[in-house]
Amino acid sequence: MAEIIPLTPGGASDPSEPFKESACKLHPQTMCPAFGALRVLARLEGAQPAMITDTGCLYGLTFVTHFYAARKSIVAPALGTAELSSGKVQEAATAAIAEAASEPNVSVIPVISLCVAETAGLAEELLPSSIDGKPVVLVRVPAYAIHSHPEAKDIALAAVLRRFVDRERAHEPGALVLVGEVFPADPLIIDGVLRKMGGRVLTTLPGRHVDELRLAGCGAAVAALHPFYRETVGVLRERGVGVVAGAPIGADGSAAWLRAVGTALELDEAVVEQVAAEEEAAARGFLASQPLKGATIMVSGYEGNEMLYARLLVEGGAHVPYVSTSIGQSMLTAADEAWLKAHGTEAVVYRKAIEDDKAAMARWRFDLVIGTTTLAAYAKELGIPSVYYTNILSVRPLFLAGGMIASLSFVRELMNRRPLYERMVAFFADADPGGTP
Amino acid sequence: MTIQLIRDISDSSSYWGASWVFGCFPDLHIVCDAPIGCYNLLGMAVTDYTDALPHMANLTPTSIREQDVINGTAQALVRTIDDLRSIGSLAGKRLLVISTAESEMISADHGSLVAQLDPEARFFWSQSLEQDEWTGRDRALLFAWEAYGQPFVTPGAPPRAANLVNIIGPSLGCFNAPADLHELRRLITGIGGEVNLVYPYEGSVASTPRLADAAVNVVMYREFGAPLAEALGRPYCFAPFGVFGTTAFLQELGRLIGADPARVAAFIAHEKRTTLQPVWDLWRGPQSDWFATVDCAIVAGRSYVVGLSQFLGEELGMKIAWSSGRPRRDDEPDNIEIRRRIHTKAPAFVFGSINEKIYLAEANARATHYIPATFPGPVVRRTTGTPFMGYAGAANVMQELVNRFYEMVFNFLPVEPIKAPGGPPQHVAAGPPAQSSAETMAWTQAATERLNAALEQVPFLARISASRALRLAAEQAARARGAREVTVELVEAAIAHDSS
Repeated sequence: MAEIIPLTPGGASDPSEPFKESACKLHPQTMCPAFGALRVLARLEGAQPAMITDTGCLYGLTFVTHFYAARKSIVAPALGTAELSSGKVQEAATAAIAEAASEPNVSVIPVISLCVAETAGLAEELLPSSIDGKPVVLVRVPAYAIHSHPEAKDIALAAVLRRFVDRERAHEPGALVLVGEVFPADPLIIDGVLRKMGGRVLTTLPGRHVDELRLAGCGAAVAALHPFYRETVGVLRERGVGVVAGAPIGADGSAAWLRAVGTALELDEAVVEQVAAEEEAAARGFLASQPLKGATIMVSGYEGNEMLYARLLVEGGAHVPYVSTSIGQSMLTAADEAWLKAHGTEAVVYRKAIEDDKAAMARWRFDLVIGTTTLAAYAKELGIPSVYYTNILSVRPLFLAGGMIASLSFVRELMNRRPLYERMVAFFADADPGGTP
Repeated sequence: MTIQLIRDISDSSSYWGASWVFGCFPDLHIVCDAPIGCYNLLGMAVTDYTDALPHMANLTPTSIREQDVINGTAQALVRTIDDLRSIGSLAGKRLLVISTAESEMISADHGSLVAQLDPEARFFWSQSLEQDEWTGRDRALLFAWEAYGQPFVTPGAPPRAANLVNIIGPSLGCFNAPADLHELRRLITGIGGEVNLVYPYEGSVASTPRLADAAVNVVMYREFGAPLAEALGRPYCFAPFGVFGTTAFLQELGRLIGADPARVAAFIAHEKRTTLQPVWDLWRGPQSDWFATVDCAIVAGRSYVVGLSQFLGEELGMKIAWSSGRPRRDDEPDNIEIRRRIHTKAPAFVFGSINEKIYLAEANARATHYIPATFPGPVVRRTTGTPFMGYAGAANVMQELVNRFYEMVFNFLPVEPIKAPGGPPQHVAAGPPAQSSAETMAWTQAATERLNAALEQVPFLARISASRALRLAAEQAARARGAREVTVELVEAAIAHDSS
């Protein structure tokens, strides 16, 4: 591995005053909340979404859904003042549902009700619960009430889970349900380790098939790998499935998580202890080199799992004084926040705005910024190496020793790119400010 | 009232259209009275894919919350403006507050509140619940002229010079605008015109009165911009496409700016030898022969539909199977019908948006080439090298079509895949090619007819390889069953397997 070049030892921070969130939260940093729901629902095989909303909203959400979720045609009724003011929203929704049902190979119709439809008052009891034997599932995700894109994923997943979860079948001993959109190899790696302990991964949600939703009810426990699946976990808890919070992240986190899973699945304690110790030893072996030692890194995404990533970086030796996310604080975020605060993180900001992140940029000198597109662009304008959080998170494994090594090695490579960022900003610094030459 | 259904919407709302116009002005700050989603999708997510801008720097939402839906958005608006002032974002800038579908839904009309907060600020009621992005763009252009331009112009003043030309239209969210603008500028200056203002792309609140300086306006798009040109009261013409269309444009513009006809003629002659030389060479070469044998469909803004139909259809003789412009006329197919047509029989080339690309993917139309020609859809078109308009556009589009044709030929030539041991996994598992036999197999007449009917649905250029593939598959199935001849059932099975 190459030498890391120029780093700021410790990050220059004024220890006298604690960091304060910005008084102005003008530009909230999250994808449109409703998109979280569309992403989960559009990816279900056989699902034909019907969106109930105005044309501007429809344009934006269809655009990002076609780019990020599924190459799937989306149906909607035209909703203008005429329809909305004459109480036609119900009729409009019903017409869109009928059109969606007429598609070949459709097995479920998620109805996604957005701001204007919610304001107009779309009534669930007046919608069909199924059409031609195809279930219709209403998902209400007005952006004005949900606040973040990850939390809308939870609402959507909980809605379809409630509809499809098998309530009859017995729980399978030793079977764990994973919840969280993760790198495809991660569940396989987790499954491999669980099998050594006498358990296994039953299924991972959100997935591509309704069958996975049915099966989820048969787990002996559910692990909320990402900390915003509150409703989803609640649906399974009602069904008697035990809940494990947190994720197998880094050396500390992996071992603790494996032990918690062992307890929840009632696995043989001695075997669990042995596997957890092995995982921890593998992780510690890699961490001994402290690959990120001396680096100050900012983590600021809107995916809701930023604290997991921050924990990895801290274990890798980095100073992560500031972490921000789009989601709200909850019981599921508590453990990660406490761990980070005990390991040098001074501020964890929930429901953040770009103004919070910029205040952090002014306070600490970062060697690397892992941020939202807006923040990453801002950091690049300052010549600081920076990447879009979602891009780097979604393309490599994250969990257990293997995921940790893959992620930390990548981050270390990024640190070496500072001269490229500095050269680029120096070149563009004296660009013509505008106007016709 | 019958409910109209939308599939994969093509046009956004007037909130988007107006913001894409106002967003061009560096000395204007827009506050959208919107929930965070309307801000995020326009200002951060989509504009990043249409214009390759990380985010819109001069757009701030009021971030409508549940309590605002109940109590109104005035408080949120006042707080937003106060905050913007306190961090200095409004220094040296005009403020514009724009309504959105949700704020209109709760009748949040802030006209008088905005005037009270800041006499220089303006409120734009976007009418997003009923108007589309084209109307929104038009209304925003007129609004800017009436608010920031016209009041500062001496009525009846003549143009500052006879050869001054405005280019009206290019703004955020306009497909391929930088390349088309570059070409348009080249054409205008080529015959002695001088570009006065590119509006709103290179304009500002402060420069808006200068619109009156020009003698002629070139309206870049037929889908919007003409109402501003009408309001300016000077002669105007639309940006041209194709070899002959562009020539007619240059002659017309030359007359309007009083250019020496000899200079116009000299420019056109020089263009024939330079920019247009590849068109002449490709026309003389074998490449142009197949233009008569292939068809295409065009889904795009009105300008692109009119311009490409004229260049490809009337000038090169390509068959235009069908087209649909934006804003769509009643006699043009909507997306439900476009999807049906693509699923039934896809033309060899489809110019369009990501919607058409999805329909082609659904139909597994591998013999059709998709060429991005409009939004929605993520595509970077920020360089000056990809024009559709003007002489350079004619050459570029022709070159693109020929290269797609070469690509198609390449993709249909036989290949024997080699998988290196330990190499990366293949994205799509390539099955072994159907084995041919040295011996010719008999076909029933019904089987032959079915094969021919199936090939009718395949674009012309791909028929040779499609016929070979289907023939091999049907014959292989026959041999596998020990049949002596190919029957219509075996052909059906081969077709079904191919399209799966």
